[in-house]
Amino acid sequence: MNGAAPGPLALRLGALAFVVVSFQIGVVSEVPVFGVNAELCALLVAFAGLLCGSMVGAACGFAVGLFIDLALLQTLGLTSLIFTLIGYWCGRLRELRDPQSPLTPLLLGVSASALSLVGYSLMEFMLGVDAPVSFELLREIVLGVLVNAIVALPMWALTRRTLEGALPEDPRRRRRRAYTTGGLSPLSKA
Amino acid sequence: MSDKTVRRRRAVLALLVVLSLLLLTAYFREAPGGRLHSIQRDFLTVVSPIQDGANKALKPVRDLFSWFGNTLHAKSQLAQALKQTEKLRRELVAEQAEKRSYRELLALSHLDQLGVGDYHPVDATVIEKDPNVWYSTVLIDKGEADGVHRNDPVINSEGLVGKVAQAAPDGALVELITDSSMGVSARIGTGQATGIVQPKVGDPNDLLLGYLPSNTQANPGEWVVTSGTITPSYPSLYPPGLLIGQVTSVDEESAYKSVNVHPVANLHNLDIVQVLTTGAGTRASNLSQLAVSLPAGQNAPTGGGEQLASTQVGG
Repeated sequence: MNGAAPGPLALRLGALAFVVVSFQIGVVSEVPVFGVNAELCALLVAFAGLLCGSMVGAACGFAVGLFIDLALLQTLGLTSLIFTLIGYWCGRLRELRDPQSPLTPLLLGVSASALSLVGYSLMEFMLGVDAPVSFELLREIVLGVLVNAIVALPMWALTRRTLEGALPEDPRRRRRRAYTTGGLSPLSKA
Repeated sequence: MSDKTVRRRRAVLALLVVLSLLLLTAYFREAPGGRLHSIQRDFLTVVSPIQDGANKALKPVRDLFSWFGNTLHAKSQLAQALKQTEKLRRELVAEQAEKRSYRELLALSHLDQLGVGDYHPVDATVIEKDPNVWYSTVLIDKGEADGVHRNDPVINSEGLVGKVAQAAPDGALVELITDSSMGVSARIGTGQATGIVQPKVGDPNDLLLGYLPSNTQANPGEWVVTSGTITPSYPSLYPPGLLIGQVTSVDEESAYKSVNVHPVANLHNLDIVQVLTTGAGTRASNLSQLAVSLPAGQNAPTGGGEQLASTQVGG
């Protein structure tokens, strides 16, 4: 969370979130693939967490969730809660593990989608919607995760490109770079 | 990472989670006319023009995606449609003769059942569609300013789509017939037995016509239509004869017969719909007002007055 002015990042993230949510509501939700719709908002929150850290991820998740709940007249707080946890979890993954594999966005997108869909199901069960676990529900969840896996990499590229330049400097990454170049290595001092 | 940063991070997470839970609890407990609901409606009024503009701007993109899917689907439907047209043509001739007899009988027995003539159709465009499998709702660009009110039936060129769940000045939320809170009284074809059409539990894209007498004749392929008001004690919000769907299979396991119904309206691709608004003083208007004015204590938590309106009054 250090090394970057929060202003430009918040601005870019806010603009990106508005565009993605509008696109999700206006286009993606009208175009079913294999009978289900991709969920770009969950991917956006996950990638915001992965790029910016847990606090920004959680805040972004809360804001995007609240916007969706307000715009779609859904139960207020439901999407916010799920997206806050997804954003935070992805941010912590970055802070603790800092995964560098090129497959990380894909795996994270799949995990975030699964968390989002299962989270919705659990919350809806708790809120009393009359729909027991059925093959149809499981099919929707599995297909939803698959469709999100297809769009995860383009969504990752879009998020990274938009936020590039305003991203916070990660202390772990900075340390690793310093070791690689020998600048702060204890061996170089010896 | 310093202790201060860790504490701040945890505090932010706790704050956001608590805030979400507070919103969830407050929203869930309050009546449909409560403060959070009105904030949502106000927000919709603000973003509705923006969403409307975005919807129109993004229509070509949406159409492009839909075009691929529709082209593939159309070919498989063509042969089926031709066969069905031929069958319908034959049926039409028979129906016209029956209709004449029906009108004569109606005039004779002075049955002033609620008909579509009591409604004023208002064309509306779907501006937002809920992407979530759990919510079967869409937002339309017509609201109270155009005479749209809560519980008004919503149809499209194919058949019954749903009913208005909430109305704001410039837009309205429409609950589709696949929403878990919906229930519409219906009958199969020209049969006399009526039942309740509800979403099929566990399959949000299909419907179930339940509570039919066990001796009801039902065959796959038959049409299911709204029954309208059967008895004055349980008036229906929906006019009779609106097409709901087609029977796919029959389940005779329980004391009541129930049939699986596939909705005839393509609920995944709604663009233009028609709200059957009710003029003040008409019977349809009185029904809507009755449904809205039901005591809050009888309402289900999620559906508000709609569920009761649909199953008992609207049923």
